[in-house]
Amino acid sequence: MTAIAKSDPRSKLLIAFGLSTLALVFNDLLSLTALFFMGILLNMAMKAELLQIAVRIRKFLFLMFGIAVIQSVFSSAGEPILTIAGLTLIRDEGLIKALAYLIRLSTVVVSATILSTSTRRELVQGLVQLKCPYEIAFMVSVAIRFLPELRNELLDSMTALQLRGIDLQVLPIRKKLKIYQYILLPVLTNAILNARELSNAMEMRAFRAFSKRTDYHTLHMHKVDYVLLTVVFGAFTLLSIGRLWV
Amino acid sequence: MSAVIQFKNIAFTYTQDMPLFSAFSLTIEQAHITILRGENGSGKTTLTRLAMGMLKPLKGSIFLLGNDIASMQLGEIGQKVGYAFQSPEKQLFAATVYEEMTFPRLLLGHPEQEVFDRADQLLKQFDLQAYKEMYPRLLSFGEKRRLAIAAMLMNNPSYLILDEPTASLDDERVEVLSAVIEQQKKEKRGMLIVSHNEAFIRRHGDRIITLERGYVIDDSYR
Ligand SMILES: Nc1ncnc2c1ncn2[C@@H]1O[C@H](COP(=O)(O)OP(=O)(O)OP(=O)(O)O)[C@@H](O)[C@H]1O
Ligand SMILES: [Mg+2]
Repeated sequence: MTAIAKSDPRSKLLIAFGLSTLALVFNDLLSLTALFFMGILLNMAMKAELLQIAVRIRKFLFLMFGIAVIQSVFSSAGEPILTIAGLTLIRDEGLIKALAYLIRLSTVVVSATILSTSTRRELVQGLVQLKCPYEIAFMVSVAIRFLPELRNELLDSMTALQLRGIDLQVLPIRKKLKIYQYILLPVLTNAILNARELSNAMEMRAFRAFSKRTDYHTLHMHKVDYVLLTVVFGAFTLLSIGRLWV
Repeated sequence: MSAVIQFKNIAFTYTQDMPLFSAFSLTIEQAHITILRGENGSGKTTLTRLAMGMLKPLKGSIFLLGNDIASMQLGEIGQKVGYAFQSPEKQLFAATVYEEMTFPRLLLGHPEQEVFDRADQLLKQFDLQAYKEMYPRLLSFGEKRRLAIAAMLMNNPSYLILDEPTASLDDERVEVLSAVIEQQKKEKRGMLIVSHNEAFIRRHGDRIITLERGYVIDDSYR
């Protein structure tokens, strides 16, 4: 188990990519559930801090759950399951759809948490060694780097806007949407200006003056990576074949 | 004399290991121009943000015009008290100067003619009419600052809090700002102004409070 926890970032990238892709491709409950449990097992093997992460993104999880509930309540297809005072609230198809949606998103989340067990730097190096163009790997790294700042800026912007005298609670939905436009515009302008400044600063330091970069740190695959990748992608293949067959 | 801001025994800290304010109390009167000064990092901005409800005290309570701000929405606070951020970019949102002035009131459903009239009047008073159609972020720093203050006056707030309004303005621009402040004082609008500019402090301050690492070390009236 400890060996798996130390597996190569490239193995983690490939597994996370495979897991989330299949989660989006599959649409039956059984395969999705199987994928989800594979994701959980892998997280445990890699010693991801699932609980801490769940606490940190709890708002997002609630939102996800809320959407699933709304989906199942408002679906009009299938046989009624729950009827209150002559009003059908939940139908079987709606419920199944909502569950599938919930498990699918959860699987995407747990494939992302697999990546959280490597540092940002290792992941970028992994992407580069997977022959991903450096520009893209670099952009991914910058995006991850600026994500918390972007979030803070959005929150600040929201506060500043409200202090202009706009009481969000009394505003009708249609006007609330307009508010998001006012908030997103300046934050995105800032983000673009920041990115441009960063790339200018890097060019001044002769970044990309030579087309082949040499890396100080290089990653090496070990036996455990080959075993892990074989087992996981073997399971992915079996699941896919099973899907076609059933 | 009636109080506009009351800090009652508040505690606040950003990071657990170094508390910024503990058992801090201070009352600020509405009629005055109160100046808040102190070294970088002494907690001036933090204090103004607490007063506006942007930050929540860990202990104690804060009253704004007699109301506990714990029970007020940010929008409600913003209608009563205008706040100018240390960097004006933070409070500019719209695509043109004119829209910047008018959109919050229009969103809230105030009559258009009334909103436009007030915007025209304020733009004139702040010498910004020429820039009506300009993208606010392209304005010079001093113009952005004036626009931010003009925009918050659209709500006709009864009090203003300005965080370092003189920062990075040349003498001429400080003069323009001083005229604005005198005009506001004539209209009986009190202000809390964070400033380092000695000449500016001496010119406008009715009361000068000096802060050091979360404590008031000097408090004098003139
Ligand atoms: N968001 C934050 N997170 C953590 N610490 C902060 C944060 N904002 C301010 N601080 C710290 O709190 C202290 C007080 O900051 P504050 O901005 O209130 O000072 P200030 O008196 O306004 O300074 P300046 O003259 O530089 O504007 C400083 O030590 C600062 O580093
Ligand atoms: Mg400050």
